[in-house]
Amino acid sequence: MKNKIKIQRAIHNLTQDDLARKISVSRQTINTMEAGKYVPSTALALKMARLFEVSVEELFQLEEGE
Amino acid sequence: MKKLPLLPHVCQRIGILALVPFLALGIAHMGWDYTLPWLTYHANSKDGIDFSTNSNFTDEVAAVGIIVSLVLIAFSKEKVEDEAIQFFRLASLQWAVIVNYVVLVICILSLYGGVFFTVMTINMFTILFFFIIRFRYVLFQHNKADA
Repeated sequence: MKNKIKIQRAIHNLTQDDLARKISVSRQTINTMEAGKYVPSTALALKMARLFEVSVEELFQLEEGE
Repeated sequence: MKKLPLLPHVCQRIGILALVPFLALGIAHMGWDYTLPWLTYHANSKDGIDFSTNSNFTDEVAAVGIIVSLVLIAFSKEKVEDEAIQFFRLASLQWAVIVNYVVLVICILSLYGGVFFTVMTINMFTILFFFIIRFRYVLFQHNKADA
């Protein structure tokens, strides 16, 4: 699964630490999600989408074959 | 994600501190038949309980102590317990169960008699040991990726 967390974070001028605090996870988890090594739960995806004011589909996309 | 019921983070440290003496006691008992004299129960005929074959509770104390210590280490919260940590925790538990039973099957097929009995005794604790080692390794990788 691809995601645009890093891009959205840059648009909103947030560091990984800022985003982590806002959605109540660790900075390492943000890093792991941005690297595509961890797919967040629906609740966390919705929290990020709400924070960035985008839809979940804009933030996360399925890769081919998924 | 629904949070897993876990013990407070401080229990992890208590578990580590408790594990050292109980593990030492268990190893000393298994390896050299060491027993703590004050854990001997002197049954008399009035009690109606026959402890003629085993009246010392060193092994019971060591086994329960090791299990409780390992449970405290394994199932206490991390400083920041988020959903990624919970995912790693469950994945590590699955890994530990599989590895434990693969090792056990190999031992069942290859060991017999007294050695097998020793393996079964140790096997009471290995699932938690494997889980803790795997989970710590995964967390180490998770934190290292951030550096």
